[in-house]
Amino acid sequence: MATSVAEIERELAEMRGGETADGSPYQRTSVMTHIAWVPEPWVGPAENVLAGLAERHPSRTIVLLPEPGDDDALDAEVEIDCFPVGSDRSICTETIRVRLHGTALRAPASVVQPLLISDLPVFLRWRGEPEWESDEFGQLVDVADRLIVDSTEWEALPAAYARLAEFFDRVAVSDIAWARTSRWRSQLASLWPDIEGVRGIAVTGTPAQGHLLAGWLRSRLRHPVEVELRESDRLVGVEVDGTPTQFPPGAPPEPADQLSEQLDQFSRDRIYEEAVRAAATA
Amino acid sequence: MVATQKNPLLDGLQIRRTPDPCALVIFGASGDLTQKKLFPALYSLAFRNLLPDRFAVVGVARTEETDDDFKARMKEAVQKYSRDEFRDDVWDKLAEGMRYVPTDFADDSGENHVAEVLNELDEERKLGGNRVYYLAIPPSVFPTVVTALGKRRSTEGWTRLIVEKPFGHDLESAQELSAAIQEHFTEDEVFRIDHYLGKETVQNMLALRFANGIFEPIWNRQFIDHVQITVAESIGIEARAGYYEAAGAIRDIFQNHLLQLLAITAMEPPIDFTAESVRNEKVKVLRSLHTPGPKSIVRGQYGRGFVEGEEVRGYREEDGVDPRSMTETFVAAKLYVDNWRWADTPFYVRMGKRLARRETTIAIQFKRAPHPPFEEAAADGLRPNVLLVHIQPDEGVSLAIGAKVPGQGMTIRTVHMDFLYGGAFRTGMPEAYERLILDCMLGDATLFTRTDEVEEQWKLVDAIVAAWKRDRPSFPNYAGGTWGPASADELLHRDGRSWRRH
Repeated sequence: MATSVAEIERELAEMRGGETADGSPYQRTSVMTHIAWVPEPWVGPAENVLAGLAERHPSRTIVLLPEPGDDDALDAEVEIDCFPVGSDRSICTETIRVRLHGTALRAPASVVQPLLISDLPVFLRWRGEPEWESDEFGQLVDVADRLIVDSTEWEALPAAYARLAEFFDRVAVSDIAWARTSRWRSQLASLWPDIEGVRGIAVTGTPAQGHLLAGWLRSRLRHPVEVELRESDRLVGVEVDGTPTQFPPGAPPEPADQLSEQLDQFSRDRIYEEAVRAAATA
Repeated sequence: MVATQKNPLLDGLQIRRTPDPCALVIFGASGDLTQKKLFPALYSLAFRNLLPDRFAVVGVARTEETDDDFKARMKEAVQKYSRDEFRDDVWDKLAEGMRYVPTDFADDSGENHVAEVLNELDEERKLGGNRVYYLAIPPSVFPTVVTALGKRRSTEGWTRLIVEKPFGHDLESAQELSAAIQEHFTEDEVFRIDHYLGKETVQNMLALRFANGIFEPIWNRQFIDHVQITVAESIGIEARAGYYEAAGAIRDIFQNHLLQLLAITAMEPPIDFTAESVRNEKVKVLRSLHTPGPKSIVRGQYGRGFVEGEEVRGYREEDGVDPRSMTETFVAAKLYVDNWRWADTPFYVRMGKRLARRETTIAIQFKRAPHPPFEEAAADGLRPNVLLVHIQPDEGVSLAIGAKVPGQGMTIRTVHMDFLYGGAFRTGMPEAYERLILDCMLGDATLFTRTDEVEEQWKLVDAIVAAWKRDRPSFPNYAGGTWGPASADELLHRDGRSWRRH
């Protein structure tokens, strides 16, 4: 157990100096630093996603576990997992789980910055709805090249989209809820030009998906579109002015695949940004 | 018959360079440097059998101590700070030749005592009168010690002087020091240490540039957009307020380490790897440096903040620091090397204390590909090529190149070709001081700075500091644990560029 950033670095260096199980020297093969901000209720789902992610995105993952308390410190565990590739090589990923208390919790960026791998992009996965005004959110956003959220995890919709939009000029943003609407967006696009005059949609899915789809139509078609939300934990139906749309082909991707896809994106997604702004104006 | 030919039997044998027998005399032996760097380095050299067979170390300082106390303290230091496992046999052999002389540096009888101890050691260990004097002492006592040593020069063997920074505090004082030294010693006997030059990765910069045909043709203004050199420390001033208050970042880092890194990056290929050839080329770079105007230089001082999750004090609250101190703990500058190779290519440099992370890097950013034939979206994740030399930590070199992401479409993304010292060579990295002490004993001054280099460096610093006297910036202007004041970012934004973030 490491209790300071210096100790975390030492543990990483020691592990790197060692050899992997099959005797080959350890080689770091990271393509990014992935920071995950995981408040208590999200620990379980986050761990599942991480397990599915390691092989596809060899990275250094820093899992930040905020644990408010008086204790003025941090403690951390370091783990290295190697996956064989071909006969004589393996890909290794580093996972650092840091529990933040007290001052460390007020200044998470100061903990993370020394641990970022030089010159590689930094992705920040934020679990739950950020406290938009908080220092920790602002600090970590400024360290990251890309912020990944899942607005399905948020309560205050669509108002929260207005808050999110304030950060678009500071960091590129991906939203897993948005990614999950992509098959339906293709389906709706295929209705062009009949859909041009749409006045309202009814979405059976999460509220986030409903708001984003409506926002997307408003921003692309440049006129108001009403939205009726029919709650479901997955997106299973969209009606356009009372007419059900055909179900899109294919199966929806797994959560790990979804995050993984977002980790392949580097640039700002202007279409998403406009959809979010329009979603907030409902 | 006398053999005049070169010994043919030596051909093909790997002769390890071993220095002549000698005594190393450390002035300022009670300081941190001796414990943390010099003795661990000596031990590592002994561990690898790189020290001469007949060798002695004499510690000189004001602290009252016996030989045995000194040995015990140094043994502890070696056990604590050495990179090698502690072996009694190695230590005992080193300790046999260790002596300690407590003396005030200004005291003539003390200096005589040092000379006596050295003569005894000469007798006892057959050192042939060879001496390395290591001056790890404050500049104020420097001339006294140098003069005392000069007067007592041993008549036999060679004498060499290792001089720690700071070498003066401006051009005038540096020239005075040089004059004091030159009264008794010649330039080839003086070894001005800049420990950055002893680092493997700094020397690797020379290997990278001059042992590879692919870099040299593009190492110029036509292909390089700009260079960024960062010397960032996350620590504060520790217990060195007295020194730092007078020095500041400009004298602590910029004047020596940073300008040397810049010189090595920008220098022309030397005709050979001898001390004079390498230093001739470096000094040309230092001479071509243009004094930056007030808009091209930024200074900062840290306030309170957070470093590695801990709350840290502001500079003015540190022990021993004037609560209204105007000393800078951060400097960023845009420098130009005015010669054919580099005209109009900016060198952005920054250095400071209490920054976000500990990192020393040289980043060579190449110009963008003239016309990427890819869609805008595809090329959006693409950055210009960067050759990044990591001096510390994670020593190595990495080249950022654009590559296609596997799968559908033509998405391009920046990937890195890395060479990490830890991964490619399984031997440990020697500490800079090991290399430098050994080089000095061997008389090789390639990795030491010459007096004309030091003077050029001071000329530039003096010009910068003179302009600073005219205004009082509002300090502190950056929070501990950040990348310095906002004006440092503006320095690059004005040119449409930005600092590397990590």
